[in-house]
Amino acid sequence: MTARSYDVVVVGGGLVGAAIAYGLGAGSKRVAMLDEGDRALRAASGNFGLIWVQGKGIDFPAYAAWTRGSARRWPELAMRLRAETGIDVALEQRGGLHLCLSERELNARSALVARCDAESNRVEMMDRAALATLLPGIGPDVAGASYCAADGHVNPLKLLCALHAAFTACGGSILRDRSVRRVTRERGSFTLTTAAGAIDAGRVVLAAGLGNAALAPQLGLSAPVRSQRGQIIALERLPALLPLPVETLRQTDAGTVLAGDSQEDCASTDTSTGVLAAIAARAVRAFPRLAAARVVRCWAALRVLTPDRYPIYQQSETAPGAFLATCHSGLTLAAAHALDLAPQIAAGTLATALLPFSAHRFDVAAPS
Amino acid sequence: MSPHRVDTSSARPASLPVACDVAIVGAGPAGIAAATLTADLGLHALLLDEQAAPGGEVYRALAIASAARRATLGPDYEQGAALLVAFERSRAHHVPGASVCGVASTAAGFELCVVRDGAAQLLDARCVILAVGALERPLHIEGGTLPGVTSAGVAQRQLQQAAQLPPGPTVLAGCGPLLYSVAQQLSEAGADVVAILDTLSAARFVRALPHAVAFIRSPYYARGANLLKDINETVPIYHDVVEIAALGNDKLVSVRFTANKRTTTLIADQLVLHQGIVPEIHLADSLGCAMAWDDTAACWTPRVDTWGASSVAGIFIAGDGAGIAGANAAAHRGALAGLEAATTLGRIDARTRDAAAAPHRQRLARSLRGRRFLDTVYRPPERFRLPRGDTIVCPCEDVTAREVVDAVHEGCTGPNQLKAILRCGMGPCQGRDCGLAITELVARERGLPPSTVGRFRARFPAKPLTLGQLAMLPSSAADRFAVTRQPEDA
Repeated sequence: MTARSYDVVVVGGGLVGAAIAYGLGAGSKRVAMLDEGDRALRAASGNFGLIWVQGKGIDFPAYAAWTRGSARRWPELAMRLRAETGIDVALEQRGGLHLCLSERELNARSALVARCDAESNRVEMMDRAALATLLPGIGPDVAGASYCAADGHVNPLKLLCALHAAFTACGGSILRDRSVRRVTRERGSFTLTTAAGAIDAGRVVLAAGLGNAALAPQLGLSAPVRSQRGQIIALERLPALLPLPVETLRQTDAGTVLAGDSQEDCASTDTSTGVLAAIAARAVRAFPRLAAARVVRCWAALRVLTPDRYPIYQQSETAPGAFLATCHSGLTLAAAHALDLAPQIAAGTLATALLPFSAHRFDVAAPS
Repeated sequence: MSPHRVDTSSARPASLPVACDVAIVGAGPAGIAAATLTADLGLHALLLDEQAAPGGEVYRALAIASAARRATLGPDYEQGAALLVAFERSRAHHVPGASVCGVASTAAGFELCVVRDGAAQLLDARCVILAVGALERPLHIEGGTLPGVTSAGVAQRQLQQAAQLPPGPTVLAGCGPLLYSVAQQLSEAGADVVAILDTLSAARFVRALPHAVAFIRSPYYARGANLLKDINETVPIYHDVVEIAALGNDKLVSVRFTANKRTTTLIADQLVLHQGIVPEIHLADSLGCAMAWDDTAACWTPRVDTWGASSVAGIFIAGDGAGIAGANAAAHRGALAGLEAATTLGRIDARTRDAAAAPHRQRLARSLRGRRFLDTVYRPPERFRLPRGDTIVCPCEDVTAREVVDAVHEGCTGPNQLKAILRCGMGPCQGRDCGLAITELVARERGLPPSTVGRFRARFPAKPLTLGQLAMLPSSAADRFAVTRQPEDA
């Protein structure tokens, strides 16, 4: 069997892989993106849809900057996707709120916001009175909120479709039902083994989410990722209720209200009533009128977390040309991945700004 | 122990216990039989059902029907009476008006999320017998979402519960025994049934011949023959119908159809669609019970053993939800599942179980005779299982067959990716309306068997509930911490 051959192969067709593949494809290389089958674990299909800046990277300035930069470039990404595919990803970036449901939560939030880099993050606290003019439907438990103008939301499913369509439109190949079993490097080029045959590549980008853990070591990289379950409740379509996303609640362009989310050490994508009840209870405290809304669907998906929750971006030292990209917040970072990271991978070198994201940061702190 | 059973005529139902030995979901013949049997063996059996009275879809409203109503409903209903008498004598606890929104595995068994009287609560059960019955297989046609177009199940329910008749001329279209049965019920109740449009061709009967010997000896034969004879005398029937469209701007005005190369339009106020029933698998599927694609019946069927045990230990499936076999078979399958559940829970030993099962197995075999014939004969034609062009496949999200086919050609590999792209299956019906058609469309376009293509992932809730009801359910400190990421106030 003759192997198919590409300049770059991106392993993973989720939000991370698709954003990078789109960015690479736009640079006129022969790029293939490998995706899994219909029941693959897809963090992308469970995404809540937030572009979120506030509170991120307090103890990791490079990540705070990377997140802010991506949020800034989001309008450009949305515009390009619309021009190239006709798909409107329903970007709204008019700010976002984090609601506090008690004085205690409000104080804790204030303390956290005080630690943010005020200059660049511009997160401000809002008391109940100010918040009530912005969100008239809030319940009596709501004590206040933090607000950040850079926050926003998009439709994650439309985004994934648009990235795939834009990638295809610029000549990229999507190879589906391709789980990569093995990846090897010989004489400067890579061979990826899949059930449907071998694929040759000049460069490889590992963006396979939880699948990176097994693939990275084959290329001299390390992806110590674990899964964290998040559960989401989708309500029926409702009249306009939420002008801005509130981190745990957002109203989509179609009117559906989504309530999220949880962080659980769990590798199952089943939902659990206890956690759903806790999400529901907070949503009802935030907006009492949501109590009467009908639950249409609940789901769970797995986040991809590194030990410190921050991304890994790295080129292999022993197998140059092999790159690793793994993170949660694949939606917030989609603009950075497509517009900043992909050109660096295409050029063959990651910029110094991305050096802090190397997995070497975990080598030092490994406990015995 | 005092009898738990609630008097169904009482206006105030008793509160729901928090735990039981066996939870039986669905009070059709299978559920009634399973509840009666497990309760008679001394187990705390809880029969949860959405209706006010036991009987299920087939014996709906039988317990509260007057003699005059029973006469209208026909002799089939009387078969349920014996089951109900035994049930009412048993210590089974009947919980009417209860929707089971979800079932999940726990360390000690299962946890059911039940909505009743506007409130949600959890119920622990050591075993669960799912006796949820069947769903109508949707028939998607051009104009099928117009007001005035309804399903046979809905039309029958209106007739049974409210004696409500369609206002003007009624056309029935599709295939399957229930189509004729509903036509007859409507007609006898005084509706103006102007035509039956049968989508089946005579070739079907030839294909079914090898199964015909068993059929002639089966109880279906006499019933089926009588039904056809009665209807034939009163209502014009068109066979081999190949096209059906509902016409009208904001409501149904007429029905256009093509049969024997002739296109006809009939004025109609109501179009009743039906093309058979398929197992309702949502709860079983969400629990991870293994499913198989049944090529003859063109639907998913849970994999169960001869007792109705699913691939998930402690979950039993009985009645039409385990594969369509009708009311008589359902009662025996319910009893068998009850016996196995009682054995699993250590109430009886295997020898007692086998002895008690023997008469049920015998009668089950008799009622299953001819089943294959019916499956083969009444398998809906492909042109009506796989909609084409601008016909809407997913009425919740207005997704057309063409959009589905196009997405597959653009590389979409299966139902769950389609859901992400087109939103089909994301609506309030949880994919019950479009799921089978989507699986078959993807299978045809990709040249793969439906078993390979798969189906929508079944998600909570299986039945509707509100956010406020969901918020009433208990959560642990760990559950709440997972959401707030903050330790709780002391």
